[in-house]
Amino acid sequence: EDAAEESNVSAELIAHRKRLVDEWNAWRLRCREELGEERRKKGGKVDGEEGPREETKEEIE
Amino acid sequence: MRPILLQGHERSLTQIKYNKEGDLLFSCSKDHVINVWFTHNGERLGTYDGHNGTVWTIDVDAESRFLVSGSADNCMKLWNVATGKCLYTWEFPTAIKRVAFSQDDDQIVCITEQRMGYQSTVRVFDINKEGDGTAQSKEPTYMFSPIGSKATVCAFPYMNDLILTGHESGKLALFDVKTGDEVLNNERAHMDTITDLQMSPDRTYFITSSKDKTARLHDTKTLMVLKTYPTETPLNSAAIAPKRPYVLLGGGQEAMSVTTTSLRQGKFETRFWHKLFEEEVGRVKGHFGPINTIAVHPAGSSYSSGGEDGFVRVHHFDESYWKAKPYGDMDIED
Repeated sequence: EDAAEESNVSAELIAHRKRLVDEWNAWRLRCREELGEERRKKGGKVDGEEGPREETKEEIE
Repeated sequence: MRPILLQGHERSLTQIKYNKEGDLLFSCSKDHVINVWFTHNGERLGTYDGHNGTVWTIDVDAESRFLVSGSADNCMKLWNVATGKCLYTWEFPTAIKRVAFSQDDDQIVCITEQRMGYQSTVRVFDINKEGDGTAQSKEPTYMFSPIGSKATVCAFPYMNDLILTGHESGKLALFDVKTGDEVLNNERAHMDTITDLQMSPDRTYFITSSKDKTARLHDTKTLMVLKTYPTETPLNSAAIAPKRPYVLLGGGQEAMSVTTTSLRQGKFETRFWHKLFEEEVGRVKGHFGPINTIAVHPAGSSYSSGGEDGFVRVHHFDESYWKAKPYGDMDIED
């Protein structure tokens, strides 16, 4: 019974964390849109975010 | 993760900063000196000598061409990074507590200390990058004095024509740089002095540390608190780790534990927290006194801490740091 409860709690926690990640990622997407707008206002170029993900591999070596 | 110890300062560190590539680390100290180090081996590349007081703050531009510093000698200086030459000195009535470059490096913002009839003042200077960099204008382009609690930290947000400030009271504010009007604030961002403020790479959010023993993540646009990282100790610095969902916090420690600090290894710790889940994931010991300043390599490959003990410790992350998934497989946007 304890084990069942524990796995229930952890399932809840996992769901909670997944929700936090989803909320965060959705918010980051909105931020990028607003960032693009702000840059257009200034008349500057609209490039994406800095720091391409591919660099990660190189950095761990 | 064996740290590289940077020995060269004679007094406590006040701020450290990586350049954009992360091959260099700049450090300033109460010993009046600014140093620059190679991050891969800890070798000292040079010294910027000229201030006659505690150097409270530094920042370096994206090209690693100009360095700006602010000191208790009431001077802000612009330096040639490569030659170590002082290019220009601005003089103020009081100490300079914080400096920061704008995202395009065209401007510098600084905060001067409130003292003896002088208000804490925010000034923005246009930086003339033509020629050798010595032809700077003496007068600020914009200048304003926040009413109420004095500003302790400042930065350029991603929004045009605004300055972001953190205050002694724990307040965060956005000021219109042209009018000096406070256009937005969060009076309760912290309950005590804000000690550090570091922007995310795209400046849409930022982290603050406070004497109220917490660090917090905030939305730049609304100044609302996104996340809170509570600790048992007043915090002096907080940094965001790129490419991994962590934030790094550093500060003091309860007096009780100080007495039990071993001689071999300092017990003052850098605390790693999960940025989204607000849970502590690890600690790294090392300093013999409070941690005053933390910076993370722009590519996330190392972090450095500067202590009250006068040392800078550079920690290169090993493979396990990149592979660890303490909360399972999740794709978290930076």
